[in-house]
Amino acid sequence: MIALVVIFIFMLLLKTSVFFPFANPEKGTSIALGFILIFAFLFGKQVSRLKLPQITGFILAGILCGPYVLKFLNAGQVSDLQLLDGLALSLIALTAGGEMEIDRLKSQLKSITSLIVFQTSTIILGFLLFGLLGREFFPFFSSLTILQTLATSLLIGTLAAATSPASTIAIITETRSKGKYTDLVLSVAVVKDFVVILLFALFLSLLKPVFFPEQGFDIGIFSQILREVGGSVVLGIVVGGGIILYLKYIKREMTIFILSVAFFTYQISHNYGYHPLLICLVAGFLVENFSPHGDRFIQAIEKTSLPVYIVFFAISGASLNLDALRSSWLLALIFVIWRGLLKFIGTYAGASFVKEDRAVRTSSWAGFISQAGVALGLAILVEKNFPQWKGVFLSLVIAIIAINQIIGPILLQKLLTKVQEVGKKDLDSY
Amino acid sequence: MNAIYAFGLLILLAFLGSRFIVRRRSLSPLHYIFLSGLVYIFLGMYLGKVGLNILSPQVLNELTPLLSLGLGWIGFLFGFQFEGKYLRRFSKKYIGLSFLKSSFVFFLVYVVIFFLVRKLYFVQSPFLLYGIVLAFGLLATVNSPTLLSAASFALSSKGDYYYLARFLTSVSGFWGILGLALLFSFWHFPFFDSRIILKGSVLFLISTIVPIIFGYLFYLSTKKRTSEQDILVYLLGFIFFVSGAAFYFNLSPLYVSMVMGITYSNLTKIHERLYPLLLSVEKPLYIVFLILIGAIWEFKFDINIAILILAFLCSRALGYVLPMRTFRFLLGFPFPLPHLFGFSFLSFGGIGIAFAVSLKLAYAMELTEIFLSVAMISIIVSDLLSPWFLKVSLLRLDSKEHE
Repeated sequence: MIALVVIFIFMLLLKTSVFFPFANPEKGTSIALGFILIFAFLFGKQVSRLKLPQITGFILAGILCGPYVLKFLNAGQVSDLQLLDGLALSLIALTAGGEMEIDRLKSQLKSITSLIVFQTSTIILGFLLFGLLGREFFPFFSSLTILQTLATSLLIGTLAAATSPASTIAIITETRSKGKYTDLVLSVAVVKDFVVILLFALFLSLLKPVFFPEQGFDIGIFSQILREVGGSVVLGIVVGGGIILYLKYIKREMTIFILSVAFFTYQISHNYGYHPLLICLVAGFLVENFSPHGDRFIQAIEKTSLPVYIVFFAISGASLNLDALRSSWLLALIFVIWRGLLKFIGTYAGASFVKEDRAVRTSSWAGFISQAGVALGLAILVEKNFPQWKGVFLSLVIAIIAINQIIGPILLQKLLTKVQEVGKKDLDSY
Repeated sequence: MNAIYAFGLLILLAFLGSRFIVRRRSLSPLHYIFLSGLVYIFLGMYLGKVGLNILSPQVLNELTPLLSLGLGWIGFLFGFQFEGKYLRRFSKKYIGLSFLKSSFVFFLVYVVIFFLVRKLYFVQSPFLLYGIVLAFGLLATVNSPTLLSAASFALSSKGDYYYLARFLTSVSGFWGILGLALLFSFWHFPFFDSRIILKGSVLFLISTIVPIIFGYLFYLSTKKRTSEQDILVYLLGFIFFVSGAAFYFNLSPLYVSMVMGITYSNLTKIHERLYPLLLSVEKPLYIVFLILIGAIWEFKFDINIAILILAFLCSRALGYVLPMRTFRFLLGFPFPLPHLFGFSFLSFGGIGIAFAVSLKLAYAMELTEIFLSVAMISIIVSDLLSPWFLKVSLLRLDSKEHE
């Protein structure tokens, strides 16, 4: 606690003009990163005393230190840290892929499929209904025709179906959870990402003529996203194969190798428009299931997972646009509540369809609330294709993600505690 | 495509490294190039602006925190070994020899390089000239114990010379880093500033007191039973913070982290728990650091630089070799210190690289660019030749001792 207070005072002092003659503000990224690492970690510890997940603390610390509140990290520094953020995301995705064992997936295949189908369709239909009924009440919809309202609702609904695998894996790692429910939540979150990206590409292509009748059906976007997803899966297989060979023949310098995988995956994704999350998920999945050294590989990543999570979620928090939240918080809040309700209905229906137990039917919806990168990435794509919305759509989605990203991890932790899978990983290792 | 190519190259290097290092024990330059990590500097150069441009200036800008962490990490580790309990085991004569050896090399190199830089370059500001020449002198005092550790297999039994050389190569960098901190503190202000002594001293004092405070905070944070993951977060956080603060104020990140390392080392009682953690993170971090250094290094080479390199290397080697017997006489050493013994100190190691690059990162200008090129080429040449010099010096001396 003393450390927290002292570095906080030190950072406040840096903001005063006393040090200006000696300071180099353009070289402030490292000190800001050091500060946020310690601050978010200690803040996460304090938050965990309230029986909340540490990553909620990391995100809140990021928001607090970010460009909209205390300004210890300015927008430029947050942008400078995007590469480290990308590296962290790749590492998290490798772990997520590595957590999915093929045998366990097979045994839950019916439940996973049913949950994805019912959740996604319920949410999409629910948002279509919301658009139709609510268009009179919200200025965002009032300027659109009925067809355009339906098209927009369809896109929002698809985005709303996405869950953040990064948050899910972070909570699972933090709580050392293991078991049926843990596997189910993680598998659904990961596989649904593929489905959502594909559906989104399809809808975006189909709906563009609704707004631009002169353009007709835009196969371009669909094929582009299909190429990105397909390319990511192929790259994931290549990377995974490479890792398996490395583990078999070289074995040394595991940490540096993992960091290189994360870096080059990020670079390739960044330059060619692939999805680092998908690449690393597939790679991690292959390594875990097709190499006898898979466990060693995942353990090597997990050893350094805490600083990675802190950096990732604190930067995520700092990147949240609070202006967007301020401007559209009411509509966002309504969307969040509506989405939560639809998640419950979809999960209940999906679980009932395959005759899952009561806990899955009534409680597992809480594991699918968090949202992050994928939803944001898709929203940015919408903005690019519909520039006439001038940031309104993006602000709304960012506001929704901000709320979901804060409450999602809390709900997931509560779920894992309720089904008594917290700490089971430790028990297994004894 | 370039990224895949580079990734393949990295795997190839790891493979070759595993062949050269794990399976063989040798003191050949090729072996040492992998062991010391120099090969990663070349990889970094290839990945950087002059090569594939994967580590482009923009990417490097985004990775600056890792460079800062690398410098801080090296400084912290260096300082961490200065535990009072450990140092007290050595005779004061050892510390005296370390100081005398460093001072002599510093002055000799300073004089030679001062003369040459004045002749070869037109430096308008004496302030810059003195600063750069001081940096050369200080760099010359830096040694690394890595080569000696690697060579230990070649000694049938280790004698006085081996232990003395290990001690000196481990601690002598202290004087250089201290000098660098003073240089950074005073270089902030124009030479003609009337209160330069006061201002520089205040800044130096700040660069000493702040890391002591943070070293103490680090100690407080890890005083209670803390898990390994938590210690790692504190460690990374505090090093990022302290070296980042040094960057922010154009102070020496090596020095501030070293002071934090010394402070922490003398307060904590968990050295045994910390060492495995430090070692597990050290190598990957060091490799990333070397790759980044290779990428930011804008390689320069011309006749002037060649002359400087030659003069720097020769004066440094002479500075280590010539005064050994005099030092023995001055300090009353219990065993002879032949000239040959001085050849044990030629390897710079990671601390030398960190030293060279920290100046360029803080003060990016043409003269520091030249400094970096001279320093890096000298370090590479010296580290490639040092295994051979070690064979003709320490190994021979120790075998004679046992005869």
